[in-house]
Amino acid sequence: MELGTVLSIILLAPLVSAGLIWMFARQRAALAMTLSLGAAGVILLCSGWLFFGLWDGASYEVSTEWLTLGSFKLSVGFLLNDLSALMLFIVAFVGFWIHLFSVGYMNDDGARGRFFGGLSIFMFSMLGIVLADNLFMMFIFWELVGFSSYMLIGHYLHTDEAAQAAKKAFIVNRVGDFGFLIGIIITYWTFGTVSLTELEQAAGIRPEAVTTLMGLLLFCGVLGKSAQMPLHVWLPDAMAGPTPISALIHAATMVAAGVYFLGRSFFLFTEEALHIVAWVGVVTAVSAALWAFAQRDIKKILAYSTLSQLGYMVAGFGLGTLYGLHHAGDAQTALYYGIGASMFHLTTHAFFKALLFLGSGSVIHACHHEQDIFKMGGLYKTMPLTTLTFAAGVIAIAGVPFIAAGFFSKDAILYVAKSTSAPAFYLLTGTALLTALYMGRLFFIAFLGKPKSKAAEKAHESPWTIVLPLAVLAVFSIGGGYLILYPPSLQVLIHDWVPHPHGADHQLMIIISAVASIVGLVLARVIYGAGAKTDKLETTLPPVYAISKSRFYFDEIYLLYIRKVQDRLADIIGFLDTLVISGVLVRGTAGAAGLLGIVARRLHTGSVSTYVWWFFVGLVLFGAYAGGFLEGILK
Amino acid sequence: MTTQMPIAFLGGIGEFLQSAGAASPVLNAYLVIFAIAIPLTMAIALTVSGKLPDPAVKFCGLAGFIIPGLISIWLAAIYAAGNHDGAYAFQVVRDLGLERFGIRLHLGLNGIALPFYVLAGIVGMAAGLYAIQSGVERLRLYLILLLVMQGGLMGVFSSVDVLFFYFFHEFALIPTFILIALWGRSGRKAVALEVTIYLTFGAMITLAGLIALYVFSGAEHFNMAALRIGLVEAPVQGTIFGLLLIGFGVLVSLFPFHTWAPRAYSTAPAPAAMLHAGVLKKFGLYGLIQLAYPLLPQGAADWAPLLMWLALGNLILIGFVTMAQRDLKVMLGNASVMHMGYAFLGLYAFSTVGIGAAIMMLFAHGLSVALLFLLADVVEKRGGTADMKDLGGMGQKAPVLMGLFTAAMLASIGLPGFANFWGELGIFVSLFNSDTPWVLYVALCGIIISAVYGLRAVASVFFGETKGEFQGGDIKTSEKVPALLLLIALFVIGIWPRLVADPANEGVEHTFPAQTLTVTLPSTEISMTK
Amino acid sequence: MTIGLEHYLFVSVLLFAIGFFGVLLRKNTLVVFMCLELMLSAAILALIAFSRYNTTPGAPLMEGNLFVLFIIAIAACEVAVGLAIIVALWRRHQTVELDEITELKH
Repeated sequence: MELGTVLSIILLAPLVSAGLIWMFARQRAALAMTLSLGAAGVILLCSGWLFFGLWDGASYEVSTEWLTLGSFKLSVGFLLNDLSALMLFIVAFVGFWIHLFSVGYMNDDGARGRFFGGLSIFMFSMLGIVLADNLFMMFIFWELVGFSSYMLIGHYLHTDEAAQAAKKAFIVNRVGDFGFLIGIIITYWTFGTVSLTELEQAAGIRPEAVTTLMGLLLFCGVLGKSAQMPLHVWLPDAMAGPTPISALIHAATMVAAGVYFLGRSFFLFTEEALHIVAWVGVVTAVSAALWAFAQRDIKKILAYSTLSQLGYMVAGFGLGTLYGLHHAGDAQTALYYGIGASMFHLTTHAFFKALLFLGSGSVIHACHHEQDIFKMGGLYKTMPLTTLTFAAGVIAIAGVPFIAAGFFSKDAILYVAKSTSAPAFYLLTGTALLTALYMGRLFFIAFLGKPKSKAAEKAHESPWTIVLPLAVLAVFSIGGGYLILYPPSLQVLIHDWVPHPHGADHQLMIIISAVASIVGLVLARVIYGAGAKTDKLETTLPPVYAISKSRFYFDEIYLLYIRKVQDRLADIIGFLDTLVISGVLVRGTAGAAGLLGIVARRLHTGSVSTYVWWFFVGLVLFGAYAGGFLEGILK
Repeated sequence: MTTQMPIAFLGGIGEFLQSAGAASPVLNAYLVIFAIAIPLTMAIALTVSGKLPDPAVKFCGLAGFIIPGLISIWLAAIYAAGNHDGAYAFQVVRDLGLERFGIRLHLGLNGIALPFYVLAGIVGMAAGLYAIQSGVERLRLYLILLLVMQGGLMGVFSSVDVLFFYFFHEFALIPTFILIALWGRSGRKAVALEVTIYLTFGAMITLAGLIALYVFSGAEHFNMAALRIGLVEAPVQGTIFGLLLIGFGVLVSLFPFHTWAPRAYSTAPAPAAMLHAGVLKKFGLYGLIQLAYPLLPQGAADWAPLLMWLALGNLILIGFVTMAQRDLKVMLGNASVMHMGYAFLGLYAFSTVGIGAAIMMLFAHGLSVALLFLLADVVEKRGGTADMKDLGGMGQKAPVLMGLFTAAMLASIGLPGFANFWGELGIFVSLFNSDTPWVLYVALCGIIISAVYGLRAVASVFFGETKGEFQGGDIKTSEKVPALLLLIALFVIGIWPRLVADPANEGVEHTFPAQTLTVTLPSTEISMTK
Repeated sequence: MTIGLEHYLFVSVLLFAIGFFGVLLRKNTLVVFMCLELMLSAAILALIAFSRYNTTPGAPLMEGNLFVLFIIAIAACEVAVGLAIIVALWRRHQTVELDEITELKH
């Protein structure tokens, strides 16, 4: 079979599944589950076939025209190269295991048809982003993942929280898309094309046509989708959705789409734009790590950690590409260092963050939807497998040298940071320490010590559909830094594009990572203690805790804007619309006509003699006009 | 290639349609007349028949709505299969003894008219299906009025003769007033009066503009094809265009002539709102695209700066007004006014992209707004009120209704996968190439505004705790069928936009003088100079 | 003195003026009605006079006379209808004074 056919099957399988679920399986949960899982399986098998034989690693592109309006032509097509292949692997692999997990996790949910349909729609949209060969097509699927995210966050219809979170996620993403679409349109009118390969050539020939504004507008889309400051507010709220959704969409794949997009279009960013991109990433990474300390909800902690890691990736892209631009002579692929650094971290992050979320899901499932870590504790006895795999995830995210995937990928980012910008390097290193600290806090309080609630006492190990994905992902979280685990066709990117420190730098990186991760974890154990009942930070250092808890007042400021500015403005304009246009102008005209009517009515007495008098007056006037007597008066 | 099999299949259909179009041109031309005559005949039959049993009344109504709809789809398929290149097809010309005034019965469809014609057919089917099951009092009169409206709508978009174009519009307009006055919500009398006066006023200005166009162009016949031959002189163009812009503008609720629309649509019974907001309202923009812009390019250029501000008024100001609404139906009425801003901006850009996209936008908007009014009516029937403060939590009791409503709302706020997206995208693309690229930045705020009010409505009606009383269960099959009809149409165009884009594009290129639509696109081959 | 066209016309204008001011000033419906008839008679007189004096010998002009016949016929009808209305008015309002009848309003 041809490559294009296989890619079509990969893209369309989930769409077909979603359509079938919508038509036939809304009330039949088992069928919906089978269809959705089957689609995920087809994706995994087809992409496996792709990586282990069908695809030779060369860039492959195919497209067909979709819409013509005058000179505006829009096409859809696939572009399979190293970058999209890696992303396809992540989506297919992580996606499949999360589908399997969902089967176990959602077994008592009443609306599984809707859930699995949504999951399939999401897979379709996400694969569309991955395979898209031009910016407009990417934008289309960009919006579609936003829609599926909206639908799945709002899965628990009856809670107000879910409704608000879903709405917020969609609208905040729309704000990002506002800039994104302008950026795409500017790109189109500048280069006359939106095809990624043509754009790369064009930008190579006319580097002066690439402007900072263009890059920053495109970056707006990333701000929304990858939840970078200041559009990060939706991601923590999105935890109102079911846990598998948080794992798949809000940790492993969709939020990473922004980073992926940066990699796909890196040639559209000028140096200034890259500096801004990098700093947005750094600031997000640090702030989110700080905020994680004041959270008690296990999923919220993971959400802030996701924000922080996404910041890492974005910073890695900016710093790495800058590094590549400045050290282009070092290696043939130096220009791709940004992509390599960010994508490698994206890959390992997808493994360990999916693992952590699924682990938290297993805990929540076992504790009857208790999410407060201070009400858990002692889970290592009742849920040994979950605890073990969760520990693997903690080690991976903390970046313990050599035994954690996170070590290798974080290493690459820190290395380019060190070579590009010293302040960014210090901040990111600090973030690494903070990451180990808050992840240690979560693990020690929730899993060790004694149970602190009835729910935690009665917890029991989850069924195999939940534990198997955990085990698989744990293996990849630990070993994900080693090439051996990846299909041969994907190794090119990870091997050649990821910057590797050499010599003294190499040792320095190992020391930094070791210190940051181990000190962080040990400190967490010392400060918080196993199975603590209260938050040590809150009791001993209230001001620090308050800063962390404030989350720098982003939500409050936005809320203030919505309440005091936007809604006020809407009310005022609505009022003016009613008063001025509808009231004064329209009704005013009607009133004037009515007034004229009242005056004219006075002339109608209803008596014949009056009318005869009027007739007489008219006759005289007519005669006068006909006789030419009136001309003098009229002039 | 991967798409060979479906292409071969589609090719087979195409050949069949091509031969069907070529074999019986006369029959197809007569179908255009039938599409107008059948609803009117049914209306007359119902009027003179006296009391009929209920099923017979419903059958007559159904036939009057379904047959024109099917005809419209059939003709669209034939048009697409034959190489008409956007020109008029299926023409019928009959003398009526008014030739001295340049007036003949002249029907036909070109690439611009075709999408509107199909829109009228599809929305008519949905409105008819919904009306028949609605269980109102005096169903026979209700159906008679709607059938007259439907006949008029089919006539508006298939008229080549300008007088008939106008005449059919009035034909469809008058039943609207009566429907509002008799079957409307509370406050119907005042609203009916306001709408009647407002729209009649707009129609009069339009008529004055059309007659001026005829007189000053010196054309032999008062029809669209003949008018295109002569060109009006520049200073007069501005005046005539002004008359047409204001007249048509009132009918399309151009800011600040929009206040009738939300009141009318929220008060009117659902099928009337569907037909009016979905189809009849498009008459104004259709007239501008088919007549005013190609014939009066200079006048259009003179009025462009003002039009831009008015369209932005539609988009931003009315967008905010929409956000402030509490009543679901009033909100939808305002939203439909707001979306007209996009279409006007597409015209303002004055390029093949902009005008073609405006046609797509209008087509999609017609479907989505009709669907939303239908579903809002179902919501109102279930919840007993349309006030969003008193509604809530319907999603658990009526999941299918929620799914349809959410899909319709997302379609109307321009989610890809639905037809609306393509129109909006094309308009945005065209705006950046206009004289004032900054308009794009302002216009794009519209997508955020519409997301805000759209999702607020969905959240307050369907999410959260159950509020108020809920009667009647999930959406019934008889209500679901028309809703699905519209949704599927939106979806099909959403994934295969060329069905509308191709005739629209060819129609625009054929209708507009070539020099008026010059778009400079940087060539794909890279030049070092630019 | 020979009686010429102007004498007839003078009488006709006089009759018409009397009739017209009668319609304008009198309030009794019956009198107003008779004044209307007076105006018709004035018109008849003028028409006949024109017909008589504009004729060339041997080729008489009959249009004026023709009109007169029409007017007489219509006046007869008018009287019938008018009187019937007055009678109906009387039955309804017990008065034929114009000032007291204001039903033409609304």
